[in-house]
Amino acid sequence: MTAYFARRLLFALVLVLVVSSAALLLTRLAPGDVTAQLGPFAAPEEVASARARLDLDRSPLAQWVLWLARAGRFDFGDSFLYNRPVRELVARAAGNTAILAVVALAAATALGIPLGIVSGSRSGPAASLIRAASLVCVSMPPLLTSLLFVFVAATTRWLPAGGMTSVEALDGRWSTWLADVALHLPLPALALALPIAATFERLQAQSIAEALQQPFVTAAAARGVPPREIVVRHAWSVSLGPICGVYGIAIGTLLSGSFVVEFVAAWPGLGRLTYEALRARDIYLVAGCAATGGLMLAVGMMIGDLLLAAADPRVRERPAG
Amino acid sequence: MRRAGLALVTLVVVVALGAPWLAPNPPDRSFAQSLYAPPTIVHVFDGGPRAPFIYQQRLVSRLERRFEADVSRPVALRWFTGGRLVSVADDEGPLLLLGADALGRDIFARLLYGARASLTLAVVATFAAIAIGALIGGIAGYAGGLIDETLSRLTEFVLVLPTMYVALALRAALPLVLPPGTVFVMLAAIFALLGWPIVARGVRAIVASERERDYVAAGHALGAGPWRMLVRHLLPSTIGYVAVQATLLLPAFILAEATLSYVGLGFPDTVPTWGTMLQDAANVSLIGNAPWMLAPAAAIFIVVLGVNLAVQGRGRAPVQLEL
Amino acid sequence: MLRLWPAEAPTSPPVRRGGQIVASIRAEPRSFNRFVSRDQSTELLTMLTQGRLVRINRATFELEPWLAESWESSADGRTHTLHLRPGVTWSDGAPFTSADVLFSLQAVFDPKTQSVVADTLRIGGQPITAKAPDAQTVVLTYAVPSGPGVRLLDNLPILPKHKLEGALAAGAFASAWNNTTPPSEIVGTGPFVLREYQAGQRVVLDRNPRYWRRAPDGGVLPYLDRIVLAIVPEQNAELLRLQAGELDLTSSELRPEDYVPVRDAEEQGRLRMIELGVGTDADAFWFCLKPEAKARDPRFAFVQRPEFRQAISHAIDREAFVNTAYLGAAVPVWGPVTPGNVQWFWSDVPRYLHDDTKARAMLYDIGLEDRNQNGILDNPSLVEARFTVLTQRGISWYERGTAVLREELAKIGIAVDIVPLEFGALIQRLLACDYDAMYYRPVVTDLDPAGNLDFWLSSGSAHFWNIGQRTPATDWERRIDTLMLEMAASLDPERRRQQFNLVQQIFAENLPVLYFAAPRLYYAHSTRLRGVVPSVQRPPVLWNADSLSVTN
Repeated sequence: MTAYFARRLLFALVLVLVVSSAALLLTRLAPGDVTAQLGPFAAPEEVASARARLDLDRSPLAQWVLWLARAGRFDFGDSFLYNRPVRELVARAAGNTAILAVVALAAATALGIPLGIVSGSRSGPAASLIRAASLVCVSMPPLLTSLLFVFVAATTRWLPAGGMTSVEALDGRWSTWLADVALHLPLPALALALPIAATFERLQAQSIAEALQQPFVTAAAARGVPPREIVVRHAWSVSLGPICGVYGIAIGTLLSGSFVVEFVAAWPGLGRLTYEALRARDIYLVAGCAATGGLMLAVGMMIGDLLLAAADPRVRERPAG
Repeated sequence: MRRAGLALVTLVVVVALGAPWLAPNPPDRSFAQSLYAPPTIVHVFDGGPRAPFIYQQRLVSRLERRFEADVSRPVALRWFTGGRLVSVADDEGPLLLLGADALGRDIFARLLYGARASLTLAVVATFAAIAIGALIGGIAGYAGGLIDETLSRLTEFVLVLPTMYVALALRAALPLVLPPGTVFVMLAAIFALLGWPIVARGVRAIVASERERDYVAAGHALGAGPWRMLVRHLLPSTIGYVAVQATLLLPAFILAEATLSYVGLGFPDTVPTWGTMLQDAANVSLIGNAPWMLAPAAAIFIVVLGVNLAVQGRGRAPVQLEL
Repeated sequence: MLRLWPAEAPTSPPVRRGGQIVASIRAEPRSFNRFVSRDQSTELLTMLTQGRLVRINRATFELEPWLAESWESSADGRTHTLHLRPGVTWSDGAPFTSADVLFSLQAVFDPKTQSVVADTLRIGGQPITAKAPDAQTVVLTYAVPSGPGVRLLDNLPILPKHKLEGALAAGAFASAWNNTTPPSEIVGTGPFVLREYQAGQRVVLDRNPRYWRRAPDGGVLPYLDRIVLAIVPEQNAELLRLQAGELDLTSSELRPEDYVPVRDAEEQGRLRMIELGVGTDADAFWFCLKPEAKARDPRFAFVQRPEFRQAISHAIDREAFVNTAYLGAAVPVWGPVTPGNVQWFWSDVPRYLHDDTKARAMLYDIGLEDRNQNGILDNPSLVEARFTVLTQRGISWYERGTAVLREELAKIGIAVDIVPLEFGALIQRLLACDYDAMYYRPVVTDLDPAGNLDFWLSSGSAHFWNIGQRTPATDWERRIDTLMLEMAASLDPERRRQQFNLVQQIFAENLPVLYFAAPRLYYAHSTRLRGVVPSVQRPPVLWNADSLSVTN
């Protein structure tokens, strides 16, 4: 068990290192650099001093080594675009993305699992309806759902069509702020959650249908245990394994999906920041975003592993891999 | 269900192939008098039922996007003329079934041509991903040992990366403006690079278990080389699995193209693809007055739904999580 | 319906004091120090928090006394004696004196500052020298006479000596007042003071209780208690928030395609749309004319002929251009100075009427005809008149404008390939002269041509068809150089105008840059805003922030 997680931790470290270094070098080797942001008629001295400040006048390898040495001291450089430390920018953006992702995952679970239990254990109009809805949702990736929701919000004005906070919440206490964020959250969170909820529903339905075929369930039914209790008490706990396994994978999906949602719904998260950094070739910001993304991914995967281990004892004994 | 799905997918493919014949206008022709024009309504009733006709839309105010139908003169649609299914004469049109975009181009025509670009790219990328994945997975499963270990780690590593970000980073690192042909090859390569691990993982498992079976040992005894064994005997046994993976990759790639083009990192705006067309939908307040600009989103939905329906008919719900 | 300013009743009800407005800015301010940063957000913040000696009214373009109450200029136009307004204090209570003015001039010309505003304040290439006979008087001496005279001082925000003197002495002025400086450190004489800056979110400004200016009724200004600048990086989102009532003001004018949704919102009583007037910037189309870069290009032989560019000017139907690129919300123009620049626009500038036959004839005269019958003109050695036109991608009117350009030029046999580029790449190609032709809208920084010498002079850094020449490449550029230098140093307004008209004439005859249309600008703001005096220059409304107010 300990060895397993030690290996997982090592994998996480390698992931963060490789991903951020690759992002740094990729940005450096790409044509053009961030000093173009100074505008068409910036003085050559101004451009040169900006390039020097960002180590862009050194060789890519030297720049990478310097960056790595500083990153070891948790100094990730400054963003040229925002003129402030990368760490500060990335921490805030990652927090916003985490809020969105966690809420979306919770919503997907709350929607997908119960509906999956119903559609997997029963037949009839309700189950068919759930299956149909889930089919539609699984065919509506976040790009489409977010566009649709933003369009609906903008035309009906039921919810804010974008952003994370409105200006009115500025002076209030944190509870006002929270309420304001809560008002902005449903749209992007749901856009992100729906396709995942549909996947959860399908997995849960499939896995509960399989569990209901198991001999011990048939035996319980023969003992006269009521069907509802069979489903909830016996079959569900057995069917949990595959669901827990999918959480680890869902993290990657959440991150990918949140990029699109953040972009369409103007959520100030990591996806938007990464996009802007990449577009402007803001080198340290790109690297910082990549490192943070890698870290979030690794943490998510470890949580997924823990869940899996908790649900399925076999995993704990399994050698790493 | 499955039949409905296949029918949807077939429909889209037929439409894509028949685009030059089905579209009333060329996709890149801009009608200067029809910027942001609404869809041309096809009438079939004029006092009594009659053959489909339209009223020519006259521009009243460009800025206010006001058009007035010239009801004094119905224009009959021409069928099977000039190599097109349906069209109107140049001086009586244009026939814009889904309206026109910011440059006065026919959205319907672009949607049809867009199907070609988007689908071709997805199919090419899928084949590439499968080829790479089957090869790497096959080698790993067949060779075992250190090779297997290395390749499996690599597969696992690429698998956990959030695809959208990697695609974005790779695309952004290349020159942002490139000729469409180069963009096509580049996007296909990026997608294949991201899609192969899903294939490789399954292929490796199947090949590894097949390797232990008698016929492989027999083949070795008869002097068949490893490559021959792998390509002629082991990989064919994975075809069923690969086919299912292909149906998962295809919609994912269609979406990836749409997303990249939507954020301005895919094809240039001159190439009609569903993604470049969706860019117009980014201006949400514009869409309120022109919901038909969401047509490419509907097209993407139809394809993904079709594929999902078709796969569901196999009795197993596909778990589609990537992208 | 569209309401044109002034729409409010002449006898307006008493102005309500208090309240806040929310405006958007597109990007983070790169710094709070205008001397070292020229981005739009920094400029806006400086306008709101700092004062200058004189102000150019952005609506009338008249010069107004500001921190300087009055001034006298010597007959030779080189010495200006300014009398500072008594009783003005900085927002932290320190008195504002002539020492602050001297300090600001010293800081702006300090080579270590690398100030981005220094160039606009150098007259004849020399810094302004200043003396302060007493705390309320400043005597400025220009190295040579200057036509704009005191107007130049509108470019110089006066910064507080008591806060920044240490940084200047330590050689750290360039990095002082960056955007991590605590807001309380940033004091000014403007109507608002910085209260809070949340990166990526917003900048909050409170009213400056020590602001010197008084309302017409004698009451204190500004009327508003607070201005919030929300950072909204993207124009679509900005418009959406304006429509949702989250914003009172946006950072930029409406795009032509936004006219319809905004008009709908106006009809529902949610927004008010105003016409700002004709923009001061026109879309420009030019060829790289740098002989050093193009000497080996066989097309350069005809591109450098003025007749070639004149023929193109004849070939473009400017009406079609206005209609397609701007959906009709524009006026045709024939030179860089648009009707929006009321003081310097010259209606008699030579025009090239749309005439394809004439255009073809002119091209024939310089040896271009379709020799191989492929629809594209060739010179005698069969070099095709085919060009790549670079433009910035993602901007709808550039897309439409280049499409018109391609169509119109195809009619006279000139083939054009459009390549939209990312902004950064476009700039790199521009500076390196690594392009055939470009279509772009450069922003005119100063309405007085003497403030745009970097564009007019052949040695200028914004003389974009041939940047930074050591000696003028052509005879007409030499003539423009002479005229512009004279015009900049001339004191007689009428003579300056004549000289500049002559410059416009020479420019239009040689057409290094072709202009087709200048947009008519529309702007939208919330219905609760009062006291709006629109300007065609940015910021369209906030330049007048101290007199803005809101209804409930």
